Amino acid sequence: MIEIKGLSKSFAYDKKEAKKKKNKAATDPREGEGVFHAVRDVSFQCGKGKVLGLLGPNGAGKTTTLRMLSTALEPTSGEILINGHDVTKELRYAQKLIGFLSGKTGLYHRLTVRENVEYFGRMHGLSKQLMDERIDKIFSMLDMHTFAGKRADDLSTGMMQRASIARAVIHDPKVLVFDEPTTGLDVISAKTVLDFIESYKETEMSVIFSTHHLHEVERLCDEVCLIDLGETKFYGSTQNFASQTPSGNLYDAFLANVNNKEKEVA
Amino acid sequence: MWLVYKKELLEILRDKKTLIFSILLPTIIFPVLFFGVGKFTQSKTQEAEIKELKIAFVNGNTFEGLPDLFTAEKHFKKVELESSDYKAEILNDKVDFIIEVPEDSAMPSQSRKQELINLYYKGASKLDNISNKRVKDIIEAYNNTERLALGERFNLTTDNVKAFNKPIAVENKNFASERERIGEFAGPLIAYILIALAVSGAMYPALELGVGEKERGTLETLLLTPMTKGKIVLAKFGVIFTASFFTVIVTLLSYFVWTWIFTMGGKMSGLDFLSNISGLDLLLVAVLLVPLTSIFASIMLSASIYAKNMKEAQAYMSPIFMLGFMPVIVAFVPGMELNVKTAMIPITNVALAMKDLVKGTVDYSMIMVLLASTVVIAGALLYFTTQFFKKEKVLFRS
Repeated sequence: MIEIKGLSKSFAYDKKEAKKKKNKAATDPREGEGVFHAVRDVSFQCGKGKVLGLLGPNGAGKTTTLRMLSTALEPTSGEILINGHDVTKELRYAQKLIGFLSGKTGLYHRLTVRENVEYFGRMHGLSKQLMDERIDKIFSMLDMHTFAGKRADDLSTGMMQRASIARAVIHDPKVLVFDEPTTGLDVISAKTVLDFIESYKETEMSVIFSTHHLHEVERLCDEVCLIDLGETKFYGSTQNFASQTPSGNLYDAFLANVNNKEKEVA
Repeated sequence: MWLVYKKELLEILRDKKTLIFSILLPTIIFPVLFFGVGKFTQSKTQEAEIKELKIAFVNGNTFEGLPDLFTAEKHFKKVELESSDYKAEILNDKVDFIIEVPEDSAMPSQSRKQELINLYYKGASKLDNISNKRVKDIIEAYNNTERLALGERFNLTTDNVKAFNKPIAVENKNFASERERIGEFAGPLIAYILIALAVSGAMYPALELGVGEKERGTLETLLLTPMTKGKIVLAKFGVIFTASFFTVIVTLLSYFVWTWIFTMGGKMSGLDFLSNISGLDLLLVAVLLVPLTSIFASIMLSASIYAKNMKEAQAYMSPIFMLGFMPVIVAFVPGMELNVKTAMIPITNVALAMKDLVKGTVDYSMIMVLLASTVVIAGALLYFTTQFFKKEKVLFRS
């Protein structure tokens, strides 16, 4: 189980940006004195065997939130607890419990699929025997044995994504963080990812999953947390989210909850 | 075509980094470098021209008036030899030049044959040539006087005298070894090549392991493993260092293999001097490259990690190359020597030491000084790189 309590992240402007902002009136509520509050007081939780969909327009703060959950970024304030352990205080322990995958994460092209997965297994301190067992299990689950010996630069997009999933779960994490994992994938490759997440619903694992594809949310997510301008706009069950508008669909609910202006946030 | 040309040019001109690093920086660096090197060379040349030269004569009075010509000159000092070991006297800096007139010589103007002067000195560098020329100019002046006196003796006009050969011939006895003389030119070249190899050997892996990982999306996953950022960056540094050092060592080894082949074959006798470089000197060349490659590995890794993409990283590499070579070029300016001051200048000190190692004239105590200073700088840069790698702003710069 993962609990996020009052999570915030601010970035100090660099000199050039600070100078630019100084002479301009703030148009974005996240703009502060010399800092940009990318994530502001976000809270949610995701229980065992549950999938939580993290939604929001581009630049809403989803990736920053997920990067904090995955320990890549340190929160400015707030708490992230995995099975009661504070991620910031027990960083190395927490890293063993988290698996992370995004549409942008890649593999080492000159290593084979197996070498890639083994490398990350070793980084997580797996023994040889445990590693072999895990690899066998994951490769069977994702139907990867046929291309396990291929170099990553010889893989198709779908194979690459399966290998990336294997890399993310080799250490048997208890929380999976997926940041737009289907972005840029074709229908077949995206299906592999979605099927995998669905299969994990049957385990004790908590999955946090950000996406722009609302049909994926409909299919997979038990709960939804919608972020806009760095703040939580909605947090609750997918059903409740959909029922916010008369049409009862996620699309309308999404638009009703976000600052519905064509606004790209850098 | 014109449309594409204009659009591409517009994009490049709007890319401030390309403008700064590819155009602005070279236009500033190179004139500054050439002006600086020119000024320094000029001052060193002027210094050599007025440097006090200690000169000793053996049977000098046989050529009446010759010693007086030297003592009349402002920057010559006549000294007495303490021993008959000319080489020791010169190499121990007790005297700069020894003019020896052979015992059976006669006053040139009274002689019926060309007389001889043995000129002993030690000269390998350009500045030594300046000193040598100053001595020879005075001997030539004496030659002129004697030539005119000879002409008078034989009732010849000045024009007739001009047709005469030199009454005195100068036999050069240079105590600088062949290794030293050839090393004066080859040393800088070898140092330049080795440093260039160290820099280029570090560049590709630095790009690959820094910004390359960022672009591939493997860096973020690596940072999420329980391994500390400090260990990750040290491992990356280690790879860049190994690649760079390996490139140089392989080149050094191949150089020795080829030198051995050439010298054994006797086809390129000019390379004989290379085989005189001792094992210790060679080892020291390799040792000097350790902190040097560390410096480049740290700087390049930092730049590569900082860059958002490969293009930006490559833009940073050009000035690193230029700034890396400026101190190397400075090291080859005539008169630049390895001393306590220059041993503190990073890169320049290594280039100077390599030159001296090739020449066989290195002061080993200076090697210790430069190693200490370079190790401190390399250590500081490595520390900076590890701290840099821990910054979220650097790792997730967008």
